Amino acid sequence: MKHLLTPGKLAWRLTLAGGLLLAVMAACVCIGSEPVSLRKAMQGAAVETPNIDYEILMCVRLPKVLLAAIVGAALACAGVVFQAILRNPLADPYILGISSGAGLGSMLAVMMGWMWTLAGLSAMMTAAFIGAMATVWLVWWIGRLTGRTQTTGLLLAGVVVNAFFSAVIMFLTSIIKASHLQTTLFWLMGSFAEPEKMNLLWVAGSICVLGIGFLMLLGRRLNSLSFGPEEARSMGVPIEQTCFLAFGCAALMTSVAVSLSGLIGFVGLIVPHAVRLAAGPDHRQLLPLSALVGAAFLVIADAAARVVVAPAILPVGVITALAGGPFFLILLIRYTKNIHWGCS
Amino acid sequence: MNRVEFQNVTFGYEKTPVLRELSLTVQTGSFWAIVGPNGSGKTTFLRMLDGQLKPQAGEILVEGRPLSSWSFRQRAEKMSLVRQEFVPVFGYSVFETVLMARSFRREWSLFENAVDRSIAKAALAATDTLKFADRTLGQISGGERQRVFLARALAQETPMLLLDEPTSHLDLKHQIRIFDLLRQMQIEQGKTILLVTHDLNLACQYCDRVLLLGTDGAYIQGTPQTVLNCRQIEEIFEIKVFQGTVRREKFFVPLGHYSKDAPPK
Repeated sequence: MKHLLTPGKLAWRLTLAGGLLLAVMAACVCIGSEPVSLRKAMQGAAVETPNIDYEILMCVRLPKVLLAAIVGAALACAGVVFQAILRNPLADPYILGISSGAGLGSMLAVMMGWMWTLAGLSAMMTAAFIGAMATVWLVWWIGRLTGRTQTTGLLLAGVVVNAFFSAVIMFLTSIIKASHLQTTLFWLMGSFAEPEKMNLLWVAGSICVLGIGFLMLLGRRLNSLSFGPEEARSMGVPIEQTCFLAFGCAALMTSVAVSLSGLIGFVGLIVPHAVRLAAGPDHRQLLPLSALVGAAFLVIADAAARVVVAPAILPVGVITALAGGPFFLILLIRYTKNIHWGCS
Repeated sequence: MNRVEFQNVTFGYEKTPVLRELSLTVQTGSFWAIVGPNGSGKTTFLRMLDGQLKPQAGEILVEGRPLSSWSFRQRAEKMSLVRQEFVPVFGYSVFETVLMARSFRREWSLFENAVDRSIAKAALAATDTLKFADRTLGQISGGERQRVFLARALAQETPMLLLDEPTSHLDLKHQIRIFDLLRQMQIEQGKTILLVTHDLNLACQYCDRVLLLGTDGAYIQGTPQTVLNCRQIEEIFEIKVFQGTVRREKFFVPLGHYSKDAPPK
């Protein structure tokens, strides 16, 4: 039974992916417009002359790399959950309108000229978070009106709310002041601003780790659910409760990611597919592996964004879409082949 | 004890009644066929047993207790479901699929134990699917897939099996293999089986009891011998049928206006 997931196999694969992530992170803190020597930085801040390498590493690069890893893990994990529950391989973390809700929130904050901060979160981030969570709640509520076990209603509600809010965003964009426009546009394209406080990273990281752990516990239920609600129910899965918990958890993780980094596309779509192809669809393994791979992917994308047009910085969303688009097309062709020839 | 009792169960969508004051008792260890035209409420009947739909009036008792008071888990311990043949979105392996039937028993543990694995293997062996345990569901044929889903229902170790047109997309050989397996389960393990089918002939050959549902909530129940006959079928399905006998059991051939054996006008 070579496909069977055993504790040993899971531990081994997680160690491998975790090691890969650490290596990628270590490599990427050295990459940037200013070259940094790891060895020199390792000597620490205790020397008398200011150690510039250490300063850049610890205060600039490391927080950014950590942030990229957290956001990548959250988005990839949320993508897995939405694909499983909606039984739709094209679902991504933004499918329930999170992107437009967050976008609208951040835009309002910029237009209102709010400048306050809340526990390290800027007004724009806070408004984006609130907008994202409120939109998910709205979509969930509309979805429930159309039927409790039908995911199509939920999917359509997400698409329609997304389209409506996008129209509102476009309307606001056309009347907004030019100076405000750049801030919002950059945010919408997705980028890692330098996080002002490390404690923000701790909070986001903890939410992410706890979320992944909790979703892993729901892993066997998600396996059953990806066969459809009827099947899952007959196998003893309390479907409404499971959907609510998994959706809630994934939406929270996405909202955290979105409020910290703006809209970064393709991570939540392609990473789960890539991991599924490599390691199988079992969610107990798919969730943590996708998180680790998603984190590594975004750390690399962020490093690329720093060097491609250095010393300027590209929005990381541009890199993920440029790399993700072709990759996704390959997957799509493979998937279509499966439909035609995979099963008789 | 009687496994399932329907007491004056009524259900309808919008204004069209589907089941009207249906009362019936399913004895433990019996093999039921639920037959009738499209839209007569066969799947509705099964969905109510599965707990997806709740009766608008009347009550369903399972082992003397109202079905609505059973938890998800308790219900999953009593009955398992096999649906029409379909290909799931994600490529789980056959063995993984069958193991899923075990997950509700130790809900919050991350892994299956040795007992779960041996039960799943036994179920695969019983349905003759052990040889492709490592293949994914997309890599096997429709008939094989349906046997895998049957294996999953067996691995759930429930005294009752609910099947919703399990053989509708299968060729003759695979239809017969599924029905043989079900009959074998009924005889050897005393399973109670409720099966929705369009095949009146297989119902005659394999089932002990038949529930024939008509449009607008009419129904007849009993043995295949009493329920399934020319007059009944012609009335409910609104077609002409030719009735014959194989050796002991009847068979029916539907005849239309342009059939070669069309009845004289």
